[in-house]
Amino acid sequence: MTDLRVPNPSSPPGAADPVKALLHHHRDLCRRAVDPLEIAAGLEAHGITDRSAARFRHRDVFSLAEELYARVPRDGEPQRPLPTTPPPGRGADRTALVLLPLLPGVLCAATVLALKHTHGQDRLHAAAAGVLALALAVRAVLHRGPLGPRDRLPARSAKRSQTCWLIGYALLGGGLLGTALTGGPDGLPDGTAQGDWPLSTAPVLALALSCAPAAWTTHLFTTHARRRLDASRDLEDFAASVRPALFGTFALYLAALAALVTASSALLDEPLALAETLTLGALLLLSRLLTLHGFTHAPKVILTLTAAAQAAALATVFAARLPGCGALATPVETLTAWNAAAVPALTCGAAALILLVHATRTLTRASAHTPAAAPTVPHRKETPA
Amino acid sequence: MRIGLLTESGYPYVGGEGGLWCDRLVRGLDRHEFDVYAFSSSEAQEAAGRVPLPPQVGRVRTAPLWTAEDDGVVYGRRARRRFAEHYGELAAVLCAANDPVTPGEAPARPAEAPARPAEAPARPAEAPATPGEAPARPGENRMSPQADRFASALYGLAELARDEGGLLGALRSETAVRALERACRAPGAQSTARAARVADLLTVAAHLERTLRPLTLDWYDEEGLGAVDLCHATAGGVAALPGLLAHRRFGIPLLVTEYGVRLRTHYLTRPDSPPAVRSLLAAFHGRLAAEIYHRAAFITPGNTHARRWQERCGADRAKLRTVHPGMDAAPFAAAGESQASADPHTLVWVGRVEPAKDLVSLLHAFAEIRKEEPKTRLRIVGGPSGPDGAVYLGHCKALAAQLFPDEAAGPHCVGDNPVSFEEIGAPGLPTPADAYASGAVTVLSSVVEGFPVGLVEAMFCGRATVSTDVGAVVEAIGGTGLVVPPRNPRALADACVALLRDPERRARLGAAARARALELFTVEQNVSAFHTLYLETVARTPAHRPLLDDTGDPLPFAHPAEAHLPGHWTDAAFRAGPRWAADTPVPAPEAAR
Repeated sequence: MTDLRVPNPSSPPGAADPVKALLHHHRDLCRRAVDPLEIAAGLEAHGITDRSAARFRHRDVFSLAEELYARVPRDGEPQRPLPTTPPPGRGADRTALVLLPLLPGVLCAATVLALKHTHGQDRLHAAAAGVLALALAVRAVLHRGPLGPRDRLPARSAKRSQTCWLIGYALLGGGLLGTALTGGPDGLPDGTAQGDWPLSTAPVLALALSCAPAAWTTHLFTTHARRRLDASRDLEDFAASVRPALFGTFALYLAALAALVTASSALLDEPLALAETLTLGALLLLSRLLTLHGFTHAPKVILTLTAAAQAAALATVFAARLPGCGALATPVETLTAWNAAAVPALTCGAAALILLVHATRTLTRASAHTPAAAPTVPHRKETPA
Repeated sequence: MRIGLLTESGYPYVGGEGGLWCDRLVRGLDRHEFDVYAFSSSEAQEAAGRVPLPPQVGRVRTAPLWTAEDDGVVYGRRARRRFAEHYGELAAVLCAANDPVTPGEAPARPAEAPARPAEAPARPAEAPATPGEAPARPGENRMSPQADRFASALYGLAELARDEGGLLGALRSETAVRALERACRAPGAQSTARAARVADLLTVAAHLERTLRPLTLDWYDEEGLGAVDLCHATAGGVAALPGLLAHRRFGIPLLVTEYGVRLRTHYLTRPDSPPAVRSLLAAFHGRLAAEIYHRAAFITPGNTHARRWQERCGADRAKLRTVHPGMDAAPFAAAGESQASADPHTLVWVGRVEPAKDLVSLLHAFAEIRKEEPKTRLRIVGGPSGPDGAVYLGHCKALAAQLFPDEAAGPHCVGDNPVSFEEIGAPGLPTPADAYASGAVTVLSSVVEGFPVGLVEAMFCGRATVSTDVGAVVEAIGGTGLVVPPRNPRALADACVALLRDPERRARLGAAARARALELFTVEQNVSAFHTLYLETVARTPAHRPLLDDTGDPLPFAHPAEAHLPGHWTDAAFRAGPRWAADTPVPAPEAAR
């Protein structure tokens, strides 16, 4: 390699070291490359063949690439490409984020108003139409926007019946339990809070209204977690920074829900049912969050257990009417004597607590926040014909 | 013979890449049975349906690569530990600094290492010494420790998937990400891997999950891939993974065909990812390629370029057989047999218009040609490929209009430009053959090229060619056309002028090119090359199946132990016992005389 000939004056500058010019030409490629083969692939894509490598006094592109790889200065911290910011939400996304979660609340409020101002057959029709519209609206919210599944795969919705039971209990269960303990009920609910089997519409209205804060806080949580993914150096870091975000999301939602319950109870002139609504809301939010991130098993089990516990509480009260089974109702009676809303509050509260503990363990894992798979780019292959 | 054809986003689907080639192969070898095992790359591809299959295709099993259904198995403690162990091992290999053994090892092995049985009887005294000292046989080259670790981790994961199922969920789980992180932070990891952030780890884990999906399939049983005699993977990478597992479980020989090396494609497809992602994934694909090449009985690159990459990735030269892609020569036969339709003053360029084809350089060269040969015309035949190509085509048209004014034969005629832009299918140009046939010389001016299909078509038409020295051009053209450096319009012009002025040389080169193309690039040679390779593979490395008796139990001693030895075990040299036994009784040829 010690070629000590006098350089030919007519040769262009840099001819003594032709590789240097090449290095300059492909400096981005060389600086970016993680191994010589990557440079070789890039050089070939720029039309450099083994025969052109011979001009640089190399046997083939591979050895030329090795020289380039060895010669390029590499500082300690490799340059990171800027984190790709997600494209600003299009109109449809923005609607799904801001307006769609408001829909169940609006529909529920309309239904409640209709119930108040109608009577008899009309009230039944209004209730049926309202429930149907509400169900459709909730379904829409759970399919699009922040509460919808993150990838194209439909989230498994086997928990629908349990959720319906829990909400149904919030609406009817308290009244039924109250009348059942005093020997009722003597008829079907008449759609008011004053009848023999009273309806508590305030918690359901608050829950429907809270779809909006739920969607917004979930959106905050997901975006925060995604941002932390790019910034965190290791998994512990990530978990440590996501955990407060999770609690913050949860607290924010609970605060919003508490305000909504207070407001709706005041508006509808119903007793304030803070405890059972908050616990139920917390349970539903946590189970949705877990399902969104792929943990479908725990919410399913917990929701089933909660529904079963509430059903059992009701069943014991009715079973106690059988001769000789009077003792069955004692636990429920004791609880209800202590606090009228003890049964739903305790069951939902315990369930929510378990899910919260579960969520602090699972939702702080990085694998729960794997970005949805990019559309697979088919490999370009060189194939004949 | 029953052949398991492994394809990825290709054959049985309509419009799959390389589908035409596989179809010709399957139809050409109608005396063999084919089982097709295909991966589809997108939902749209599956929806598009499949091509009609000939009767020799026995069964078709497909699996999507774009989605995967989790089987819902959640690992217990033991299985999880087993998974963490294998995955951690895999991750550790990917993060470890490259060992320099992989690329250079195979070529460094002496080619004469296998003791040739034919020479052995002449020197009986030396023969027993060689088997002990030269363990290297074809396909038995030593693996580096890292490659060995990679292979055992890969097969460990496959075993786990077979025993327990649920590998997909595990590959997506936190255990996997944690194992990756631990490997990246371990001492001795590459600096690029050490800089990996959480997002990078997730990207790598997701990519590994996608790539390792074939491990979870149910193809590897006695009725599936265990029943074929030979696995033919039509691409490297993911498509060859089932072949690897079948080789591992049932000893089915594997034949790998690669027209584009998957590792190289991988380098070119993700240039914008963070360095950690690129380095880990490059290591994975490199190791996987090395393992595939190591286990394959034969590797058939489509051209020298692919072959060099394969050698670089650790393929043993003894296993490499270049099989050129085959093309249908029939449409070009009429053009090839008569030069009558060729206008002696016309140059033709045929292809998809895109910046890599460097038409600008061609136009500048044509300007030079026009100075020497004013009557020459240039036909540029082909549509744009993609939006880039459309812009480039517009640019080229503008340049042509600037460089060459319209001209007419006389004062009363309507003139036109000496450079014409046309497309196949236009009136007067129904097929590519007509395009090639209309010119005396075919020009190729690309700066980047894979296998030059257009050039081979021109060769089939028996036209003299001038091409730039890129990609596999020199390999395809041999000595039957002129080759100039890329981006050198002056050289291109000189070569074209030389050919335009010399009809005899044109005819000679054209005839030679046609003969060369008919010998090397026809479908028939492609199919017969694979036929020969199939037979050779099965003859050299047959899949051993235990013979069963009437009750279904394995029959002991059905195969003699010697059947597992390579070479002719009836030869004296291979029956040689210990050295002390070989000395006395064997009569030397000299003593016999």
